[in-house]
Amino acid sequence: MKIFEMKTKVINLIKAAFLVLVLAGCSKDFLDLEPTDAISEDEVFGSYVTANSALMGAYDQLSSFSFGGLYNPIMADIMGEDVMINSVNNWNWFIPVYQMNLLPNYTYIDAPWWAGYKLIFNANQIINNAIYIPDATPEQMASLVGQAQVLRAYAMLKLAQMYSPAYAKNPDAPSILLNTDSDDLDAGFVRAKLSEVYAQIESDLIAAASQLKANDDKGFFDNRSANALLARLYLDMGKWEMARDHAKLASKDLTLMDINDMFTGFSTRNSETIYTIAYTQEDNNTYLSLPSFYWPVGGYSSMRANKDFVSKFSAADARKSFFLKLDEIDKDRFLIVKFGHNNAVGNAERICIRASEMILIEAECEAELGNHTEAQNALYKVQKRANPGVTKSTATDQALMNEVLLERRKELFGEGFRWQDIKRRQLPFVRTGDHWVKFSFTAQDPDYFRLTFPIPQSEIDANPALSNSDQNMGY
Amino acid sequence: MQQRMKRLIGCLILCCFMGVNNTFAQSITVEGIVNDENGLPLPGVTVIVAGTSQGSTTNFDGYYTLPVPSGKEKLVFSYMGMQTRTEPINNRLVVNVVLQVNLEALETVMIVAYGTSTKEAYTGAASVVDNKIIEDRPVSSFEKALQGTTPGLMVSNSSGQPGAASTVRIRGIGSLSAGSAPLYVLDGAPMSGSMSDINPNDIESVTVLKDAAASSLYGSRAANGVILITTKQGKSGFTKISFSSQLGISERISEGYALMNATQFYEQSWMGLYNEALLDGKTINEAQAYAQGAVKEVVGYNPFGVESPLDSNGKLIPGTQVVTDTDWRDEIYKTGLIQTYNLNISGGSESTKVFMSFGYFKDSGTTLGSDFSRATNKINVSHKINNFLKAGINSQLSYSKTNAPPSGSGGANPVRSAEVINAASPVYDGAGNYEWGNKAIFDFNPVGLAALDKYTYKTKRAVMSTYLDVDISPSFKFRTTAGIDTSLDEGLNYYNPDHGNGAGVNGRSTASRSDLLSWNISNILTYARSTDQSYFEVLLGQEALGTDYSVLSAAVTDFSVPGKPDLIWGAKPEQPGSFTTSSTMVSYLSQIKYDYDKRIYLSTSARMDGSSRFGTNNKYGLFYSFGAGWQLSKESWMPEWSWLNNAKLRASYGTSGNNNIGNYASLGLYGSGANYGGYPGLTPIQLENKDLSWEKIQSFNIGLELNFFSKLQTSFEFYNRNSDGLLFARPLSAGTGIGSILSNLGAMKNRGIEASFKYNLIDNDKFYSALGLNISTNSNEILQLTTDKIVSGTKLLEEGSSIYQFYMREWAGVNPDNGRPMWFVNADADDREENTLPESAFEDPLGSGKQVTSDYADAERKRLGNALPKVYGGVNYELAYKNFDLNFYLYYSYGGKAYNSDYVANMHDGTQSGTNLAVDAANAWTPNNRYTDVPRYVINNTDQSEQMSSRFIEDASYLRFKNINLSYQLPESICKSWKLNSFRAYVSAENILTFTKFKGFDPEVAINGTTNNNIPGVKVVTVGFKIEL
Repeated sequence: MKIFEMKTKVINLIKAAFLVLVLAGCSKDFLDLEPTDAISEDEVFGSYVTANSALMGAYDQLSSFSFGGLYNPIMADIMGEDVMINSVNNWNWFIPVYQMNLLPNYTYIDAPWWAGYKLIFNANQIINNAIYIPDATPEQMASLVGQAQVLRAYAMLKLAQMYSPAYAKNPDAPSILLNTDSDDLDAGFVRAKLSEVYAQIESDLIAAASQLKANDDKGFFDNRSANALLARLYLDMGKWEMARDHAKLASKDLTLMDINDMFTGFSTRNSETIYTIAYTQEDNNTYLSLPSFYWPVGGYSSMRANKDFVSKFSAADARKSFFLKLDEIDKDRFLIVKFGHNNAVGNAERICIRASEMILIEAECEAELGNHTEAQNALYKVQKRANPGVTKSTATDQALMNEVLLERRKELFGEGFRWQDIKRRQLPFVRTGDHWVKFSFTAQDPDYFRLTFPIPQSEIDANPALSNSDQNMGY
Repeated sequence: MQQRMKRLIGCLILCCFMGVNNTFAQSITVEGIVNDENGLPLPGVTVIVAGTSQGSTTNFDGYYTLPVPSGKEKLVFSYMGMQTRTEPINNRLVVNVVLQVNLEALETVMIVAYGTSTKEAYTGAASVVDNKIIEDRPVSSFEKALQGTTPGLMVSNSSGQPGAASTVRIRGIGSLSAGSAPLYVLDGAPMSGSMSDINPNDIESVTVLKDAAASSLYGSRAANGVILITTKQGKSGFTKISFSSQLGISERISEGYALMNATQFYEQSWMGLYNEALLDGKTINEAQAYAQGAVKEVVGYNPFGVESPLDSNGKLIPGTQVVTDTDWRDEIYKTGLIQTYNLNISGGSESTKVFMSFGYFKDSGTTLGSDFSRATNKINVSHKINNFLKAGINSQLSYSKTNAPPSGSGGANPVRSAEVINAASPVYDGAGNYEWGNKAIFDFNPVGLAALDKYTYKTKRAVMSTYLDVDISPSFKFRTTAGIDTSLDEGLNYYNPDHGNGAGVNGRSTASRSDLLSWNISNILTYARSTDQSYFEVLLGQEALGTDYSVLSAAVTDFSVPGKPDLIWGAKPEQPGSFTTSSTMVSYLSQIKYDYDKRIYLSTSARMDGSSRFGTNNKYGLFYSFGAGWQLSKESWMPEWSWLNNAKLRASYGTSGNNNIGNYASLGLYGSGANYGGYPGLTPIQLENKDLSWEKIQSFNIGLELNFFSKLQTSFEFYNRNSDGLLFARPLSAGTGIGSILSNLGAMKNRGIEASFKYNLIDNDKFYSALGLNISTNSNEILQLTTDKIVSGTKLLEEGSSIYQFYMREWAGVNPDNGRPMWFVNADADDREENTLPESAFEDPLGSGKQVTSDYADAERKRLGNALPKVYGGVNYELAYKNFDLNFYLYYSYGGKAYNSDYVANMHDGTQSGTNLAVDAANAWTPNNRYTDVPRYVINNTDQSEQMSSRFIEDASYLRFKNINLSYQLPESICKSWKLNSFRAYVSAENILTFTKFKGFDPEVAINGTTNNNIPGVKVVTVGFKIEL
């Protein structure tokens, strides 16, 4: 019977083990696990520190190379007449953009759209949830919400400018998707009217301008940058007075950088910076940055200047030194040395908004309003920085406007304005000089569709409220 | 609610347990001895009192004793391999019996889910692959040897990187986005790491479980089938030592399509520039001058000895010397050497059995910078502690090292580099240093980078499981198992400071250490009772398992000393990272089997799984199955036909699940790393889905096995698998902020037929010859999606289509009048709602009668076939004569298509001006070559002829000689005189010949029909031998 006793003992042991395991497995938390490298949404807005980190994440999204870091500024100048991508040695970057020959499935169309909307989503979350942060003071909340509003407005304005036709052409044209607080995943979003989108941008910026205080750190938005963006918005809408007023508010008390500052490579902020993307040496897009494409060596280095554009600069204009002809690098075309790196490739801040642009907006508006003297004064302010001996303009009407627009081209080239400047004023698009793809069409020609990006094919495919018939004309 | 249910079940199980010991009654004691036909005692024979659950087993002397309750008349003696014998007691106190060997049908025992079964009794659809098929193959990982052996099993090797995993699918693709890989179980413990750590030489058999009745016991992990791997165990008797070794040469599996040499590329580039100038409005003379001036710039180098090597028409002046003509494929591909060495020791006594093996495998790879080596050790020990306890351990250790350059479309992938760098670019400059200036991928020279950069990975793996078997009584058996599967991985990527990926930061080195630990515990209780008419078995079990995966990674940049990849040499640290991700699962399972008269077999199973991966609303799932088998040939009413030896009908129905998604997929999450301006940042990365649940699979299977004339064995299966609640990252409008959300949105069906035939052509003393054939078909259809259409890359997902359905514009050829590309307008397709013809449409000049356009955006997309094959399978032929054995083994796949994106890169029509071209591109349209299928070649081409269209869809059907093996077994007499047990030598060739129309290296591209610049497959010839002492 000894074996039998041992058997019973063993059996009882096993029963006990079984019981333990059955009950142990039943512990409630055994199946509830959370990741160690991510946090849940509720936790993010559970304290001010984490909510502020979410705001940093939104700025980081703006700095993405698919959006404000590279694609937006460089494509805006390539789709113009003053600079171009080299026809050889270009590693096939941006060629179809330069050729104005784009399809809805191209990355150049797809990436900025998705990057911009992710930025809008980040901002929406902050704006809608900031009131629930338990430990935030009213100032902190205002700062969070205000900055998020500017980020949202910035993204929406850029997307509207790229993907819809000009406001001047048709203010009610179908524009981009408008979503500020919906988390409905099934219904899809229609293309809102451009006027509705602009109304949303306007209300965001006005709210931000009133609740944000001035911030010395120009890597973040403040009331000054909110006013600057309002100036750009009103300029687009043709509301000259309001544009001029906000431009003046934005540039108030700022001294323009002097000519020496201009030649440091546009890579660090200075006295006239209103907003700059604060890349650091450890945190930048390296080869996918503006200086990588513009600086003649060390990166992709494929941007060139049109010789006809270079000849528009007078010999006394210091800015003419931005252009260089070096046979060893390119014997055919002008190199551009406006944008440089600090020690390491891609280590350069990207100055998005500066006072000179505001003064030029002021000049343009005053010219539109018929205030010739004020326009001439503003124009002179910008011109004399580069050319101290320049004579102040005495032109009026269309001649004055032409001078202001020309000065915009000369001052702001490479900074991402030309495409929109042509489109918002419905100017003709004419490429001459040593361009290797030439066009010449006016706002009345069918080819003008090329100045508006198509809605990405991936959006039309994923959005139940859109179909191929909602696509922009020409695509 | 679910907590309570579990407690209840737990209690029920315990109650069953409690009832075990309480069956006592009045009894007499009977004893006796059981012998075999030769008079030798048989230990371990089960003796049961018929009609009860009481029994005993014979000891080493064949002696048994057991109490027999009054009123019971018979004893049942059963032993594996012997005929079961029922003996009436007839009031004796001593009952001795002799058991006969079971000649009629040597019941082959198969390893199946949580136990074993005989082939006869099994109601599920499963195939067993013998180790003979895996043993001699020069493959780094056993699943590569399974291709074509089992109907319904599709193995595709999309990369020739030694040690790389294969894609294995059983009965089609069951999921849209959750993993479709089957569950691998090694000696009863689920595996979670790489298959290539197992030494194929250690495998005794592989069982592939295909239908619900077979795999449902694995519940939520069984949706895609289960592959059970059983390793060799020791046998009692004298110790066997065997040593085997293999030496082989491997090469790229085929030539692929030809690439241009330096002259052809230079001339083509001239033509491209000339055409570009003409299209720009220049005159012929101006265009010629333009081309002459710019051709060197476009190509990057002048590969000839003279300044102006081309005449005014862009052709090479006869007699010009070609100085540089680099065959980049030759530069990066080499002949590989494969070596394997294996030492097996196996032996045992009655109570202890041991199997031990040591193995070493080394493959020096067919591509620069790619190789693999692995050392393994296996120890399987089982020991009978006393007459009711048995314990054992199965352990496996392996250490593998591999160098694997990156795949994909990056510059550092040598396979891609070899295809795109043109032949005029030299490997070395004049001074003997590497040359880096090629026009396709600036600053990347694959030969240079293979020497300067490092991609090294090491894995230390231990898979161990221990078990304790308790024979509580002859009918009740209990097994408890505990196991771990742990891998420690090390990776090092070093980019040199001067060229390639590390150039901008003066060198970068990234190191990572990761630790994957999976553990499992299971307790299984079985009750079995047999009478001479029937057999009844119940299985109850509990299982818990979990995985923990931790990663630590760090990187530095700025190296001043070249060639030193350790992180200590970098001056600037980058952001390091670490995280842990875990999952857990709790399960209860049960199974009931009933066999009647060895004619009717029934089984049913149920399993409940709870997993940490799913949303709070859906943590638990219940999976069940029913299976039935009917041995028709044993029925009394079946006529005794001499030509029909065996007929068995099987059917099964069951459910299972798929839990193969990320560990935290149901949560709404913000991730770190979105830093800005020096401040840390968080960004949303995942939307929440509380309802996220298992994918559910229901499968139905019906099978018929027939044996004719004792020569022909056939089996036919029909299956239908319906997947529901498929997990899919549903693409969302950008307005939602995140591009997709994981939801259970779809339903899919896989249906097919499998058939296998084996015919013994000759079977006599001298010759043995057999021919086998297996065929599988699978048709995959999406039944439900929450939206109408989902377009994803080259594919379209919609209800009624297959998961890998191609969707793109339809190529119509080249316009003979101007060389521009043409696509069929297909105005009536549903890509666009209106069916009006666009303005750019015109009548097809090639006479098809359809409307075409040269404007890419105006053509509508069409559904263009399927990446999955219609039919696939294997053919094998074996011939044995005296001591020689010849084996052929072919694999075929028919009907699949592939989009050859590798070929697109080499037929860019001028849009990627410095990138190399296939020789086919020389046939580009010119006014003198008007009827061709290659459009005009123009530098900076805007025709968009290289954009996605059916121009690049190819037929990926193929027939391949997978393996040819000729072996010679040294005759026994000679072996004896050399004191050997056996000696065998063989020659084998793997993937030696392929017939296909596919243009690329290997039609066995990724299962979804797209190529990705992967290392091509390899063909190998080996010689080997095996000695047994």
